Amino acid sequence: MKALLGNMRAELVGAGGVVERNAYLTKRYIWWDVAWFVWTVANTLTIVFIAKGIEATGGSLDVNETMTTLLIGAVVWAYLGILFEFLMETVAWERWEGTIEYTFMAPLSRAMHLAGQGVFAIAYGLVRAIFLFCVCAFVFFSLSIPDAKYFPAFVVLVVASISFIGIGMMMSVLPLISPEKGTQLGFVAQGTLLVVSGVYYPVSVLPEWMQWIAKVSPATYALDGIRKAILEGQGLSALWSDLWPLLLIGFVSIPLGLWVFQRGEQYAKRHGKLKRSG
Amino acid sequence: MAVHVDGLRKVFEVPEREPGLWASVKSLVRRKMREVRAVDGITFDIDRGEIVGFLGPNGAGKTTTLKMLSGLLHSSGGEARVLGFVPSKREKDFLRQITLVMGNRNQLQWDLPALDSFELNRAIYRLRREDFVPFRDELIELLDIGDLVRKPVRNLSLGERMKVEIVGALLHRPQVLFLDEPTIGLDVTMQKRIRSFVAEYNRRHGATVLLTSHYMADVQALCRRVIVIHHGQILYDGPLTGLADQFAAHKTIGVALEDGTVDLTRYGEVIHRDGDWITLRVPKTETSEIASRLLAEQSVLDLTIEEPPIEDVIELVFAQERREPEVEVVA
Repeated sequence: MKALLGNMRAELVGAGGVVERNAYLTKRYIWWDVAWFVWTVANTLTIVFIAKGIEATGGSLDVNETMTTLLIGAVVWAYLGILFEFLMETVAWERWEGTIEYTFMAPLSRAMHLAGQGVFAIAYGLVRAIFLFCVCAFVFFSLSIPDAKYFPAFVVLVVASISFIGIGMMMSVLPLISPEKGTQLGFVAQGTLLVVSGVYYPVSVLPEWMQWIAKVSPATYALDGIRKAILEGQGLSALWSDLWPLLLIGFVSIPLGLWVFQRGEQYAKRHGKLKRSG
Repeated sequence: MAVHVDGLRKVFEVPEREPGLWASVKSLVRRKMREVRAVDGITFDIDRGEIVGFLGPNGAGKTTTLKMLSGLLHSSGGEARVLGFVPSKREKDFLRQITLVMGNRNQLQWDLPALDSFELNRAIYRLRREDFVPFRDELIELLDIGDLVRKPVRNLSLGERMKVEIVGALLHRPQVLFLDEPTIGLDVTMQKRIRSFVAEYNRRHGATVLLTSHYMADVQALCRRVIVIHHGQILYDGPLTGLADQFAAHKTIGVALEDGTVDLTRYGEVIHRDGDWITLRVPKTETSEIASRLLAEQSVLDLTIEEPPIEDVIELVFAQERREPEVEVVA
C-alpha cells in the first residue's frame, strides 16, 4: 500500500513536471499570448455582432439574449480550441521542436504525461475563457444578464473538460500516426463537433441524423448547461440533466482516449514515425 | 552484462513508385511497398563500464539500433536487453538508467534556459533536490557552462547547445549512455572537450557507453572496442587495434634518407615525398623484410613503421560489403 502511494505520488510529481514545463513556456511568451487573445476577442466580437446585424436589417429578436447565446457559444468554442490545441501539441509541437524522442523516453506513464498536458490546458483555457467572456460581455456590449449564475456555469465547463480532454487525446494521436497531415485532420474532427453541438444555433434545427451525433457530443451538454445557468439562472441541481451525460461521456472518453493514444504510440514505434519533422 | 543483443532485426516497409502522373494515380489504388532491412540480425554483448564505438556509414543501421535499445523503436525480431530490461516494454526502472544523446536532436526546450529544463528533468526523473543540485553543478563545472545555462537554448551556438544537452541527459546519472554522433558539427576544441567529458563520466560512474561517430578521433580517444555495421549487418566486432590487422593488407614505412632523391619504387609504392622524408605503402606480410632491406641497402637516418590511418581502414571495411539492402517487393 505504501509503495503504491509512493508510486502514485511520484507519478503526480512527474505530471506536475509537464504542467510546470507548459507554465514556463506560457510565461516566456506571455505577450504573444496577449496578442493571440486580442485575435480571439476580435473573432468572438464578429460572431456576437451578428445578433445586432439581424436587428439592424429588420429581424425581430431579443438582441440581448441572442448576443449572450452567441457569446457563450463563441467562448466555449474558443475554450475547446485551446484544449485541443494543447493536446494536439503533445505530439505535433514536440515533433517540430525535435524533443519528441526524449519526451517519449521519459520515465513517466503516458496517462500522467497526457494528464499533465490536460490539466495545464484546462487551467490556461479557463482563465482565457473567463477573460474572454468578461471582456466581451461587460466591456464591449454591456450585456444585461441579471439572472446569471456563474458558479454552476463554471462547474459545467470544468466537468465538460474531462470529456473534451478524452476526445483531445484521441485526436492528438493523429499527428503521431501521420506526421505530415495528422494535425490538419484534427481540425476536421474539431469542426465536426462545431457543426453538431449547437454552438451558435439550437441542435433542434439540425437534420435528425445530426441530432443523433449531437447526443454523444459533450459540447452539446456543455453549451446547454452553461446557457441555462447564464440565461435562465438555473442552479447545479437543475443542471443535472446536462451534468450526468458529461460525466458519463468523460468516464468513457478518458480511458478510450488513453487507449487510442497508446495504440498510436505502438504504431509509431513499429513504423519509425517517432521522430523529428521540420 | 549491460547490453545484450541477439539476432536483432528491424524491417521497414517503404512505399515505392515510378515517377510520373500515371504512376501517381495508380499508386492511389495499389501502393507498391518494398521492405528495407535497416538492421539485419545483429548480435553483440557489451559489459558494464565498457565504451564501445559503433561505426558505419550513413544508413548503416546505427541510429535504428540505438533507438531500438532505447525503446523508441520496436524491433521486427531478435532479442535486445539493456541492464536486463526489454527496452520496448518501457519500464520506468529501465528508462531511469539510460540516456540517448543524438547530435542532431534536442531534449531541452529551445525557448527556455537550460536550468529550467533541468528542473523539469528533476521532476520527471524523480530526483531528490539534495542529490540533484550538487550533481548538476558538478556537471556544469566539468563542462564549464555556468554562464550558458541561464540563456534560452535557442540563443546558444551548436557546440554550446551540445554541452548543455549532454548535461541534461546525464542529470539522472544513467548507467548506460547511447551517444549518437554527439560531436557532429562541432569544432576540434569542442569535440575534444566532449570526449574528455565522456571519458571522465565513464571513469567516475562506471557507465557503459555505446558511441556512434563519424570522427575517428572520437573513437580512437574513447573506444578500445569497435563494432562495425554496414547494411544492417555486423562486419567486425573486436579491438580497435585489430581492425587494421584484419582488414588492411598494407602498412606504411616512413623513411628519412641522406639523399632524398633516391628511387625507392623497388621497395614499395611511394605514396608521399616531403624533402628527404619518403612514405612507402608495402604489403603487410613483407613489412619486416622490406624494412631490413632499406636499412641494409640505403643510408637511412630515420625509419618508422605505421598502421594505415584508421579512417582508411574503416573505408576498406565498408568497401568489402556492397550489397543492396532491399530484398523483396510486397503489395
